[in-house]
Amino acid sequence: MMEKIISKKEELKRVPMYIQGLDENIQGGIPEGYITLICGTAGTMKSSVCFNSVYYEAVLKNKVALYLSLEQSYPSLLNHLINMGYDLSKVNVLLINDLSNISNLLSQLKQSKKGSLIFADLGCIRKEIKDVKLSSTANTGWINVIKNLVKKIKTDIGLDLMVLDSLSALYVLSKFENPRIELFYIFEFLRDLDITSFLISEMPLDASKYSEFGVEDYLCDGLIYLRLSQFRRAVVREISVVKLRSTQVNTDVFSLEYKNNRFQALYGGQNPLL
Amino acid sequence: MNKITFAFKNMLQQKTGRLEERWKYDSGTFLLSSPVIEDIDNDGKKEIIFGTKNGKILSIDIDGNLKWAFSAEDNTSEAELMFLDTESSNSINSSPNIEDLNFDGKKEIVFGTEAGKLYVLDNKGKLLWQYQADGAIRGAPIVQKFAGKQAGIIFGSSDKNLYFLNAQGKLIWRYPCKSEIESCPALIITTTPLIVFGDNEGTIYALTLKGDLVWKFETKGKILAQPSFQTLTKDSGPVIVIGSTDGNLYCLTEKGSLIWDFHTNGAICGKATIIDLNKDGNMEIVFGSCDNCIYALDNTGKKLWSYETDFWVVASPIVTDIDNDGKLEIIAGSYDHNIYVLDSEGSYMLDYVPGVSGIIGQTGQYGDAITKEPGKTQGKKIWQYQTEGIVVGCAYVQNNIIVNTDSGKINNIMHKSDG
Repeated sequence: MMEKIISKKEELKRVPMYIQGLDENIQGGIPEGYITLICGTAGTMKSSVCFNSVYYEAVLKNKVALYLSLEQSYPSLLNHLINMGYDLSKVNVLLINDLSNISNLLSQLKQSKKGSLIFADLGCIRKEIKDVKLSSTANTGWINVIKNLVKKIKTDIGLDLMVLDSLSALYVLSKFENPRIELFYIFEFLRDLDITSFLISEMPLDASKYSEFGVEDYLCDGLIYLRLSQFRRAVVREISVVKLRSTQVNTDVFSLEYKNNRFQALYGGQNPLL
Repeated sequence: MNKITFAFKNMLQQKTGRLEERWKYDSGTFLLSSPVIEDIDNDGKKEIIFGTKNGKILSIDIDGNLKWAFSAEDNTSEAELMFLDTESSNSINSSPNIEDLNFDGKKEIVFGTEAGKLYVLDNKGKLLWQYQADGAIRGAPIVQKFAGKQAGIIFGSSDKNLYFLNAQGKLIWRYPCKSEIESCPALIITTTPLIVFGDNEGTIYALTLKGDLVWKFETKGKILAQPSFQTLTKDSGPVIVIGSTDGNLYCLTEKGSLIWDFHTNGAICGKATIIDLNKDGNMEIVFGSCDNCIYALDNTGKKLWSYETDFWVVASPIVTDIDNDGKLEIIAGSYDHNIYVLDSEGSYMLDYVPGVSGIIGQTGQYGDAITKEPGKTQGKKIWQYQTEGIVVGCAYVQNNIIVNTDSGKINNIMHKSDG
């Protein structure tokens, strides 16, 4: 699908991050259908920030979202989210951990008017499909699994949003011989399907680059950078929007807090306010 | 003086007629390779056979009507299907080969797929047998007949092996290479028959029919083109001519020594056509390059002329007399969506053509003359026809050009004289 050209800026629909203080600084959210890289080192709440956006979209706008976890198991992820206070009873929750039964699983959601969160536990699938002959032969095998899964959900019940957790894990599963070319086609695949996508990028501890190959920064439409900032013995999380196409962005660094079941971005500069 | 005479002769002997579409067939999917034209069912009429990106072999008659279709679908489980690129997992990337493989008087169709299966169909599109390789089969398989009603099928695979099967689909041997094989091999009949092919690391191999290495030749790019084998002059031995994605066309002896190479500024992906263009008893070489040009070289590798299209020329050019005037023309398809028919001799641009400079200097005047370098022979376009997609290959039969485009449309273009 070709990207639509708008005639006035109000026509650009946006997906909020549901982070108070941040959405106001990006014209209300990320443009629909855009691909955003969520970058950060371990412990910066990358997964939670992504989940927060897709959860509220499902609850408030009855959207369908796919959370693709390549390493963290479904129970571990769910326990984490429930512990954060997300009420999953407000949406349909579907787990995909068997590649041979997807059509049946998706049919459960077809008639529902509630929003849906679909969790694909690829770690579990990896353990289950040891016998599948193609899983280990082709470099592109796992990328095809992700593409086919996304396409299937989009075709069967419609798919609005997705989170890929994480790109770094995908690179371990699939060897990219020509990353620039192969990533270009993956990004174009997501754009063609018109799905708002969050791709999680695990940064090295020295935060020397946003992504593994460097090209992801250029290929994506938006880049949100999460980091930990230490001042004496206190550590705070910080968030900044490095780039977001078609958006007037305040690129300042905000402190990121999760309080009362809500994310908040606060003005506080790079150092924690003591 | 000779050149001046030739230039004026060329100016006066303008070709007449035009290219017209006779019919168009929509395959409904993408196409990646040239069609093959053969009378496969011995009914006296030719059929057009081609493969599609969604894994089908179609046979259409010479008037553009579907005769039969064969679908190369796998019995793959839902879980296995998830690991495949469903849009191209059964893709047929190269032209089928048509031969009477089992010597029963009927032709068989041999082709490979991205899923690594080699299929052999009868002349009505019914599966005779299939063979599973360990990787994709992207180059066309070749069929070679031997004495004593024996035949072999030779093909390369992305599993880095060159396979040799007998006519019943039994593996006779396979030869491991350094990298994936996407080129189509060629069998070279010399004192010792040789199988010549290239791999993705740019090595050209020559093997015996038993699969023993005879020689290797290194280039600096992938080998996607099929080698051509021909004697270029009356006084010389046969040579192997093969292009590489390093941009060079290599001319090798049958022992693998370099005779000459010719550099272009783009990858050479198609087989070079070797033919006596000017009927002087010596062969010329015609090929396309991804520097957008169609080239004609003499037998020493010297450029006779080139013609620049607007995009890559990947498919092999066809040399034939399309307008029955006794002279050969060159038919070449380009990624710029056009089919070009070129004069095989090119045209000589004079250093100074009386009156031309005055005309082309005037506002609103435009012609071929200002795009040509004076004092050199240039490729000369006679006709051009715009198709609906990238031209991935073409074939020729009885004044008809059959053009396959990536968009899935097959055009039958015909030369019509003005009278």
